[in-house]
Amino acid sequence: MTLFQGILLIIFFVFAFVGYKIISKVPSLLHTPLMSGMNAFSGVTVLGCLSATALAVATSSKILGCIAIILAMINVVGGFGVTDRMLRMFHKKDSGKKEDK
Amino acid sequence: MGNFSLDPSITNGAFYYIISAVLVILVMVGINMMSKVSSSVKGNLLGAGAMLGAIVLTLWNFKIFTAKELYIAMLIGGLIGVVISRKTKMIQMPQMVALLNGFGGLASMIAGILTLILHNDNNVFANVTSGLAIFVGGLTFLGSAIAAGKLQRIIKQKPVVFKGHAIFTGICLAVAVVSTIMFAFPPFNVPGTAQTILILVDILASNLFGYFFAIRVGGADMPITISLLNSCSGVAGAIAGLAISDLLLVSIGAIVGASGLLLTQIMCNAMHRKLFDILLGKTSAACSVKPGEKQETKGAPVEPVESEKVEEVVSENPQDIAAEFINEAKNIIIVPGYGMALSQAQPLVKQLTQELEQEGKNIEFAIHPVAGRMPGHMNVLLAEVDIPYEKLHEMDEIDDKFKETDLAIVIGANDVINPAANTAECTPIYGMPVLSVNEAKHVLILNYDLQPGYAGVENPLYKEAQQSNEHVVLLLGDAKDSLTEIKKARSVSPEEKAAARANVQAGSDEDTLHSWFDEAKNIIIVPGYGMALSQAQPLVKQLTQEFEQNGKNVEFAIHPVAGRMPGHMNVLLAEVDIPYEKLHEMDEIDCKFKETDLAIVIGANDVINPAANTAEGTPIYGMPVLSVNEAKHVLILNYDLQPGYAGVDNPLYEEANKSNNHVILSLGDAKENIQKLFKYF
Repeated sequence: MTLFQGILLIIFFVFAFVGYKIISKVPSLLHTPLMSGMNAFSGVTVLGCLSATALAVATSSKILGCIAIILAMINVVGGFGVTDRMLRMFHKKDSGKKEDK
Repeated sequence: MGNFSLDPSITNGAFYYIISAVLVILVMVGINMMSKVSSSVKGNLLGAGAMLGAIVLTLWNFKIFTAKELYIAMLIGGLIGVVISRKTKMIQMPQMVALLNGFGGLASMIAGILTLILHNDNNVFANVTSGLAIFVGGLTFLGSAIAAGKLQRIIKQKPVVFKGHAIFTGICLAVAVVSTIMFAFPPFNVPGTAQTILILVDILASNLFGYFFAIRVGGADMPITISLLNSCSGVAGAIAGLAISDLLLVSIGAIVGASGLLLTQIMCNAMHRKLFDILLGKTSAACSVKPGEKQETKGAPVEPVESEKVEEVVSENPQDIAAEFINEAKNIIIVPGYGMALSQAQPLVKQLTQELEQEGKNIEFAIHPVAGRMPGHMNVLLAEVDIPYEKLHEMDEIDDKFKETDLAIVIGANDVINPAANTAECTPIYGMPVLSVNEAKHVLILNYDLQPGYAGVENPLYKEAQQSNEHVVLLLGDAKDSLTEIKKARSVSPEEKAAARANVQAGSDEDTLHSWFDEAKNIIIVPGYGMALSQAQPLVKQLTQEFEQNGKNVEFAIHPVAGRMPGHMNVLLAEVDIPYEKLHEMDEIDCKFKETDLAIVIGANDVINPAANTAEGTPIYGMPVLSVNEAKHVLILNYDLQPGYAGVDNPLYEEANKSNNHVILSLGDAKENIQKLFKYF
């Protein structure tokens, strides 16, 4: 284990803790959008797939990498997309109500 | 081969880390903004933007801007993602979240595999974390896929327990863990045949573990399962990040992992379950059940949908009492549950809420944290039908208010309102926080049947309702039907002034329709997206045939924008063999409405809204619409009274509410509505 890897391990725990703190502020009203938003973030693994695919030499690795990129991108784009739709549903009443009044 | 390393410290150094830190902060700011409704949309967009930034940064850092295949793959994935996010219906959200989650897990698994194959520098840390990424990614993938299948009902929702389930699960876990560790030792620590075999073993064991885990989970434990899998997908990403030393992956993955874990914890607390019990597939209480009693509830909880419909037991007419309760009440709290979601009764709930508010009543909603199939499920469904989120209250906030409430209306919730949770020791729900609906002056429960809920504990409120209707009234059956019945009962209630008028109408709608169907010679049917949604095409075909057998002439008027894509209605009607000569474009048929006896509108709204001709300044002003109002009679089958997509009220609906001389309106699902029509022949 290199020093850098050790630092990363620490970063992992620090961010897990910080994330936990931030997310505990989200009200249960928005738990579904939160979850699907987080789901979209979990597609961040696309970053790993990108570098690995680009650096892969064997064709089979490249194909595998491309599949991974596709899957991760579906996760990212689909996740942010559905989250956006849901949040707008909560949102539209905000503007709609003001117009009513 | 050894000269390229995935360690970014040798690439762009400081600048890369600064930008990475900025992006992570943006992600956190975005998440923070998602804690308020007002800023949540922007927060989500900020998160998406940060993600895009992270992709660009990675491409730049590794100097792989020129690799074409990356863009092609991203484009394909992105496009599929766009389609999925557009097409998914709100009711399908839980399974969609689960499925997307699975994709993320699979991608992390592949990232782990690639790292192993590419790394030949024999780094123990990188090898083991790669193995771990395969493990966590694999279990996330198949576990999520199974959860999605269960939610979509492709797989039975009931928990499936195999013989020796725990042993198999244990073996898979052990194999996965051991193989992960083995990547640290020769000959598995360098790419080669031995390593490839070990990778395959790891993939198989981890996926099987995910399968065994998810297949045993029942419907009501889904919120916990989905949250947990969500956490896993984040952790898998973070571990893949550790394997390839990617700062962004590690930090964002960690945040996702933490959020999923937090949600899991909240769900577990709300159901008074221990995470460990769920992992082990325990569906019943920790403390031993008395022999002979409630044994049957162990392990095989009853799902409301799958159980038989029980006939009503209460002798008096419960709808009338329910209507009375509602009319007397000033403060009402509605408690929605999964039954509402199953029956898709949200629009009717919204309608009821509006009506009651117009009568000056105060309506609030009490949302139990585990109502539904995922965290916050009820909130999403109610938001979809435009119930303002200020009315949706968390349990802690509203539970004290039941005491001062005149009426609690429970729609398809069971365990979460079961008072037995406070008293019945040795049952699975003992100690679980429940909504104290029984403290309200009156309780109205709409439930599918008398079966105990998921936890298998009888609800004493049901018994009380069967004995006397003084405090509790129980309406059995589909939530949508029950709400409709209540509506009817309320409209004929003598105290209501408006009811007198509605009464006449309610009584005569049927007769009127009889005579309309009798007299009509020329009929034009106007289909809309509501027909598509309810998949009512086969019934429309049947209705057409019935009319034609009675010597009537039936034509179809197709508005160019009816449906969700050009020519949508034509495709749907063609599918059920309605001859295309009968399908007429607007220009062709619009002048014929004048000579038509009866226009039947099935699930179309904006495209027949006469306001388009008159209501200046509205989005639909000037839009060409079908002049159904020129027909002698108009029958409108629509889901609800809400204005359509354009948000402009349809004056025909108002006319129908006043009198049924010219227009009759039948609300509800198109399929059910059409079925009702056959009796008028």
